Amino acid sequence: MNRTWSLALRRAALIVAIFALWELVTGGFGLGLVLTSPAILARPSSALAELGPYAASGLLWRDLSTTLIEAMVGLVLGIIGGAALGLALGYWRRASELIEPVLVSLNSLPRIAVAPILLPWLGLGIASKIALSFFTVFFVVFFNTYLGVRSVEPELVKAVQVMGGDRMHLARFVVLPSVFTWIFAALRTSVSFALTGAVVGEFVGASSGLGYRLNIAAGLLDTKRVYLILLILMVFAVTLVEIAKRVEARLLRWRPSAVLAG
Amino acid sequence: MSIALEHVGIRFRAGVEALRDVTLDVGRGEFVAVVGPSGCGKSTLLSAIANLLDPAECEVVGRILVDGSAPGTKSRRELNLGYVFQRDALLPWQTIDQNVQLGLAIRDVDPRERRERSRALLEMAGLTGFDRYYPHQVSGGMRQRAALVRTLAYDPQVILMDEPFGALDAQNRMLLQSELLRIWQASPRTILFVTHDLAEAIVLAQRVVVLSRRPGAVKAVYDIALPYPRDAFALRGSAEFGRLETTIWQALRDEFRATLPEPGVA
Repeated sequence: MNRTWSLALRRAALIVAIFALWELVTGGFGLGLVLTSPAILARPSSALAELGPYAASGLLWRDLSTTLIEAMVGLVLGIIGGAALGLALGYWRRASELIEPVLVSLNSLPRIAVAPILLPWLGLGIASKIALSFFTVFFVVFFNTYLGVRSVEPELVKAVQVMGGDRMHLARFVVLPSVFTWIFAALRTSVSFALTGAVVGEFVGASSGLGYRLNIAAGLLDTKRVYLILLILMVFAVTLVEIAKRVEARLLRWRPSAVLAG
Repeated sequence: MSIALEHVGIRFRAGVEALRDVTLDVGRGEFVAVVGPSGCGKSTLLSAIANLLDPAECEVVGRILVDGSAPGTKSRRELNLGYVFQRDALLPWQTIDQNVQLGLAIRDVDPRERRERSRALLEMAGLTGFDRYYPHQVSGGMRQRAALVRTLAYDPQVILMDEPFGALDAQNRMLLQSELLRIWQASPRTILFVTHDLAEAIVLAQRVVVLSRRPGAVKAVYDIALPYPRDAFALRGSAEFGRLETTIWQALRDEFRATLPEPGVA
């Protein structure tokens, strides 16, 4: 316990030190030490001060909720879709043999590259961002599920069969729990992928969202706002990943301690 | 229920011949041990009896009868076989209690009865208080004990055991041997027990079958005329045990030796 606390303390100190240094070299603390132009590197305190006007304009809430909805809907649909296809193809070998090259080539495509074509298909609204978010999550979950079905421990299958278990019992006691392990192991990655998909989608074309606002601010050389949004995105992502970690630890508590340690 | 094997041969499609012309009868309530060098097809034999072999991977000749019927002709639930694996094969995502209830859950036994039976079995296995632990949280010996009572839970009349204590340390192995003896002596079921540990086979079984190296064939069969109830610890020091061990070892030794490559032997 002592060690965990001291580590947490040292980590916090490091983060504070980074910000302090950053503040210092951008003219902070009244020392007038400016290493680069404020148009390139904003001072952290003035970037945070930007939070006031951003929130007062009502845009902060709108952008946050837009991006959150896009990422979450994309995440949930991606998990459902990926798990469903992974299970289906994991069980149905002939179909999987046929379809595998198609999926592998789609997967090898950089997700971001499809953003421009999603725009004319689905418009400037949230649908195109959800689609991009879905597309990034889908393959992670699909491949994990597919491998999960394929790598079920044969001895567990035999144990259930010998006891008289049928296909339903096998699915309930062996295949699904085993596959869930793989899906949840991919959850953390999926969460940050979903957020990336949403933000990149907003870059390409949108009318609200953190990525959209970031892009506009960058175009206007509004560096303070750019840094503010980057900080918000960081906090946002860390929070989501932290939640995913908790969910994972709770659902996979039967596993040896590697998961529970975090 | 009994097990009858008549001239059983098993050949894997990849070309390996696992067993050749094995004839063996295990009577109702009889405890028979099979010993042989590793790779002699002992485990394959159990898999064949339990109908766990993939027909796409191997070919079985001869006749296998469990309670008078060939593998696959009766439903597994009807056949009511028990199988204990070398590695416990407990479901890692279920607690010890849930694992013990597994066979009963498959048989749609009423949840309350399931819990009661599991509690009694866990008590018998000295696992009371560990019912809510997950398998990785308990020791190897405890896991194997849980696997054993999981099999007993649905009261199978034939139990196939594939080196069930092979992965345990010497102390735990002896403890579990005594427990198995106690269980079998209290209510004799047909047990076919595969092991590479000759002492274990003698301590437990009424008959010891020695298989030759691959392809495994019955080399010799020994009656173990040691009276039950047996004491797994005391027995090892007795003169009769020593005599049996020496005799059977003579037959077994050649098979172990022969697994080493020798000039002129294919």
